[in-house]
Amino acid sequence: MIVKTLLAAVVAGLIAGVFMTAAQEARVVPLILHAEEYEGKEPAATVPGTETPAKEGETHNHSSLNAPSFPTDILAALSPVTPAYAHEGEHEEGGIMFGMSRFSGTLLANLVAGAGFGLLLAGVSVLIGHPVTLSNGALWGAFGWLAVHLLPAIGLPPELPGFPAADLGDRQTWWVATILLSSAGLYLVALRPEIAAKIIGLVLIAAPHLYGAPQPTDIASSVPAVLGAEFAVAALATTLAFWLVLGVVSGFINDRFARAA
Amino acid sequence: MATSTVSSVPLSLNDRLTAGILALLIGGFLVFGAGLANSAVLHDTAHDVRHSYGFPCH
Repeated sequence: MIVKTLLAAVVAGLIAGVFMTAAQEARVVPLILHAEEYEGKEPAATVPGTETPAKEGETHNHSSLNAPSFPTDILAALSPVTPAYAHEGEHEEGGIMFGMSRFSGTLLANLVAGAGFGLLLAGVSVLIGHPVTLSNGALWGAFGWLAVHLLPAIGLPPELPGFPAADLGDRQTWWVATILLSSAGLYLVALRPEIAAKIIGLVLIAAPHLYGAPQPTDIASSVPAVLGAEFAVAALATTLAFWLVLGVVSGFINDRFARAA
Repeated sequence: MATSTVSSVPLSLNDRLTAGILALLIGGFLVFGAGLANSAVLHDTAHDVRHSYGFPCH
């Protein structure tokens, strides 16, 4: 019983992950590649005297995840190494695992993320006792998208490579906290009948936005704003499609196999 | 007859708790690995995915 529930979620997630890869290749990945042409260049309209170009490059590094930002930012600002050079050097440390192509890396990551979100969806639905079925699957998917993508995107919109952003750890913390609060809030608003629960739910949903998402100090970027706008819409649209597929497929598999056993 | 009655029994509370918590743990681990993990190799492999899902990245 337990294994079947988990398997159903994983299978639904893998299917949604394959679908997501196709959707991404159509619209989102071309925009990312386009933005990367501008990444690391100096912003066209830098406010004079506020930021050094070296720091600009450092904050946009692909693999700067490893680096604690504060001391390295200062070092990078003092360093004679140009941003472009630092960027290349950082890239060599990482690289796509198993020597896969960029596309297979994306496919693999989509499968893993799809299975992960599928399991999270199944876990929540099993724990609160509202099983995902074919008839409510799209609704479950829509709520997943609201909690994981749209509500956090109010504070931290999907970013292109090369966009200015605050410290990674702060943003990740805010992002995860917002998802947890939004999920709890949506549950209280949508599935609890009491008026008080609905009000508390709305407060939970609003709380992270009243607190405020971590914002970059300098919003200058060399990536054209039009690309950013197109990307934000494309990313939210593809993730909505992903969640609808995930919800409906989860419901279908649950109806057909998991709950019948 | 016996098999058909077994098949319509819903998950017991205990099974539900175990399944739900297991699913949340494994799912959280997978999403963390694909989206948030602080590793250069994982980041570069999942780079386009992280951006597309709007995970905080870079």
